[in-house]
Amino acid sequence: MTFALDIILSILLVVGGLFGLTGSYGLIRLKDRMQRLHAPTKASTVGLGTALLASMFHGLMIGTGFSWQEILVMVFIFVTAPITANYLSKVHLQSRHFDGQIPKTGVSRDWSTFDDAPEGPEPQLPQRDS
Amino acid sequence: MTLALIAALPFLGALLPGLLIRAGRTACATVTGSVTALALALLALQAPAVLRGEVVQTRIEWLPSLGLNANFMLDGLGLLFAGLILGIGLLIILYARFYLSKSDPMGVFYTYLMLFQGAMVGIVLSDNILLLLIFWELTSLSSFLLIGYWKHLPEGRQGARMALAVTGSGGLAMIAGMLILGNIAGSYDLSVILTQKVVIQASGWYLPALILILLGAFTKSAQFPFHFWLPHAMAAPTPVSAYLHSATMVKAGIFLMARMWPVLAGTPEWFWIVTSAGLITMVIGAKIAFFKDDLKALLAFSTVSHLGLITMLLGLGTAKAATVAIFHIINHATFKAALFMSAGIVDHEAHTRDLRRLGGLRHLMPVTFTIAGIAALSMAGIPPFNGFLSKEMMLEEAAHTALGPDWLLPVLATIGALFSVAYSFRFLAHGFLGPVRDDYPHKPHDPGFGLWAAPALLATLVVIIGLAPMASAAWLVDAAASAVTGTAQEVHIKHWHGLYSPALWMSIAAVGGGFAMLAAFPRLRAMWDGTPRPEAKAIFDAIVEPLAAGARALTQALHNGSLTRAIAIATIAITATALWAFNSGTHSPGTREMLAITPVTAIAWGLLMFATLGVALIHRNRLLSLILIGIIGLIISLGFAWLSAPDLALTQITVEVVTVVFMLLALNFLPKETPRESSPVRRIRDAVIAIGAGAGIAGLAYAIMTRNFAFPSISAYHLEQSKPGAGGTNAVNTIIVDFRGYDTFGEIIVLGIAALLIYALAEALLKPGPANDALRAMAATRTGLAGDRHPLLMVMATRFILPVAMMIGVFIFLRGHNLPGGGFVAGLVFAIATVMQYMASGLGWTEARQRIDHHALIGAGVLTAAAAGVGSWLFGAPFLASSYTYVHLWPLEEFELATAAIFDLGVFLCVLGAVLLALNSLSRLARRAGETVSADPYSVDRPEGGN
Repeated sequence: MTFALDIILSILLVVGGLFGLTGSYGLIRLKDRMQRLHAPTKASTVGLGTALLASMFHGLMIGTGFSWQEILVMVFIFVTAPITANYLSKVHLQSRHFDGQIPKTGVSRDWSTFDDAPEGPEPQLPQRDS
Repeated sequence: MTLALIAALPFLGALLPGLLIRAGRTACATVTGSVTALALALLALQAPAVLRGEVVQTRIEWLPSLGLNANFMLDGLGLLFAGLILGIGLLIILYARFYLSKSDPMGVFYTYLMLFQGAMVGIVLSDNILLLLIFWELTSLSSFLLIGYWKHLPEGRQGARMALAVTGSGGLAMIAGMLILGNIAGSYDLSVILTQKVVIQASGWYLPALILILLGAFTKSAQFPFHFWLPHAMAAPTPVSAYLHSATMVKAGIFLMARMWPVLAGTPEWFWIVTSAGLITMVIGAKIAFFKDDLKALLAFSTVSHLGLITMLLGLGTAKAATVAIFHIINHATFKAALFMSAGIVDHEAHTRDLRRLGGLRHLMPVTFTIAGIAALSMAGIPPFNGFLSKEMMLEEAAHTALGPDWLLPVLATIGALFSVAYSFRFLAHGFLGPVRDDYPHKPHDPGFGLWAAPALLATLVVIIGLAPMASAAWLVDAAASAVTGTAQEVHIKHWHGLYSPALWMSIAAVGGGFAMLAAFPRLRAMWDGTPRPEAKAIFDAIVEPLAAGARALTQALHNGSLTRAIAIATIAITATALWAFNSGTHSPGTREMLAITPVTAIAWGLLMFATLGVALIHRNRLLSLILIGIIGLIISLGFAWLSAPDLALTQITVEVVTVVFMLLALNFLPKETPRESSPVRRIRDAVIAIGAGAGIAGLAYAIMTRNFAFPSISAYHLEQSKPGAGGTNAVNTIIVDFRGYDTFGEIIVLGIAALLIYALAEALLKPGPANDALRAMAATRTGLAGDRHPLLMVMATRFILPVAMMIGVFIFLRGHNLPGGGFVAGLVFAIATVMQYMASGLGWTEARQRIDHHALIGAGVLTAAAAGVGSWLFGAPFLASSYTYVHLWPLEEFELATAAIFDLGVFLCVLGAVLLALNSLSRLARRAGETVSADPYSVDRPEGGN
């Protein structure tokens, strides 16, 4: 049992470490900001997630019980990390420092970040269900 | 207790007008008057005992180690003065109700008036001279507010400042004098001091004490050469003049001289200083009054003159003269208040007080004329009115006293009386007699009953005392004079002193001369205008201006409003003092073992250093420095956690989050970069100061942390008592809500006030002005705004987190008593949960969904905490005492209920309200700067043509 846990723990740690390392390397290596954003998000979700899993199993192994708080930590990270990435990319677009063209949206409107605040008076609350 | 209550009632009453003015002007005046009437009734209940010759006392220990106790006493003198202050105060409240116009803030007026009334009553009831001094200074301050009530008038402001400067500096002199007196007598209680006449007069310190105390009394009572402030105080509304200059403020100096009479009077020094000051004041004041055209200025100088008369009588040092002085105090208060009010009525109706533009009013204002006529004749000393009686007695006393040559005092007294007759007649003749004119600024007529009721009552008193003095006033004069002289006095007031009385002939000479002066007025006036005379205000300004300039120069040099300079001066001073203290003592290195440096702590320390240095170096880039500040905050909270202070860590991290969000929002209104403003030399200088002070603090921290406490620390007590004393195992929380609950109570109030201030500041910025223009300009130039400002992803996540965060808040709140947490952190967690909604959906959208007003939250917080504190009174425990019990409620485990939790709830509400209110203030600024209110919770792409 302990041996099996040891194995699982080791795998989790190694995977987490690998993702962390890859993410960090990607941050330096990738060529523009959009791509660079791509790498660390993996590190913060998969990398941190596996490390937390390892910590949970470690608690089980040394007999202090299963650590439920770490599940919460994981949930919060999974919820907040995409939002952070979303904001970073929006800020990047807004700063207009990107090289080259960004792809077309395929509809008549531009990317929402470039949609200027609507002209004229503010729209009222839309009538839903009608 | 009654005496303390009488003195406290006006102060308590001062709170009411400001609230009740919303219910209307009459309601406001009625309530204010009721408070005064209640105090007067309480005083009347004490009167029988005082008139029997007893001294009523109330003693409350306040600061016994300083000799400062709230001891009150009421004897005949106190009864007379307190009666005058409260009685005439009541009439003034009635009069002011009808005198003040709709545009005058009446609540403010009554509040000032009640403060002043309380201070005056305090002076006359104090048994402790230190307490008396406190009330004395309070009269100076509150009279400043009253005189400057019409703050839009420069005369009002200047007059108020002059009155404060003169009476305030006199008060300072008096403090010194009183302290000397108390030291000689060995007690600060008047009742003790008054028995120490021999000791005091034999002491070498008698003369300095006398001069210093008289400085206080003379400045307050406008005695020569300090008489100049009183006429300038006439810029106040007439009710104020009538109150301050007939019965109260200026009589405080007289009261003090009367109060101190038993111990200070009777020496040649007293006689010479007081009598000659009084005499000079009486003659000069009366002479100037005659030539004044302004009704109130005339009355002001006549007040100066009559105060001189009373001072002179007190200076004579005989019991009989003191008795006459008391009698004249009563008479002067009645006729002078009536005259001031009449002058106010004339001003109110004719829109001018200038005697040159008045005349013939007796036809147009018969009622006012009757009142003013009675009072003015009394002031002139014409029989049968009360002024005649006391003037006759004064002349009688003057005739029998020698000041230098035998003839000097009687002659000067007669001249004073002569001028007095002259200006009184001029008041009537030029104001009311003569033909009706057709060029008044406003067609005058008698006012309504409300305005003339108060002066009419006083005029009636003038007549009654004049006709039947023995029946109406003698008892009060006896009681007060007995208290002043310390021996039983029985006054005999007569109308007819006999044909051979010198007073009769002096009186006749005065009346005859007064008539002659009035007849010769145009020629005398030309002479008066032709002679140069010193202008008191110019001299005063010439003295005060250089002083003010000097003070300004010094302040400017030290504290010119530059924050960096203020901090630099403070830092250098502290560092230098500490260095000096360090060098003047001995130092041995600490004995505690150092902890090993682990990699984690080293990394954290490195980050802290990096961030701190970074902020110092790149602080011009605001956004970047904010990020670095965030790092510093995080490391500090980690440090707290590592040093076993989880409560602090929790608080620090929540505060950090809120702070960074706030600063980010504030950055919206600031340029991205701060321009470089200081020269390299200056930056090097500042760096040297900062590094020096920082090294000092580091050294101090090192020295403290490497040794053990020299004394056992108080922590042990708190840790030990936390559970048995306060029912919680979290000592930090029990300290906050229980051991030092009173501190916390004050702190949440401060927090609430700070939030209200932020709100008020934002409000001020939004008023038309440069800040508002700048915000509008920002709104006009906002381009390149990001679309999709409320992304769906963020909005959904915050909605999901909101209940979770609130649950965590509740959890932290509930466990606070025993584990790290508590109301403060819970409030911040709730605030953060709300702030997240702000960030996601915009300030306007979120605010529209908040049912509870932020102000109400703050108020509810303070009130809840107060209720928790007051609640313990119901169980006979002191304020904020806490109690706890254990409850078992199926299916829950046994849990604890503590009253401290209610207090903590107050903290929670106050913190939440304060944070949200501050955020709301920023959002209003943002709105003005072009921030739009989103109608949807998140940005929606609507196809053209609507949906």
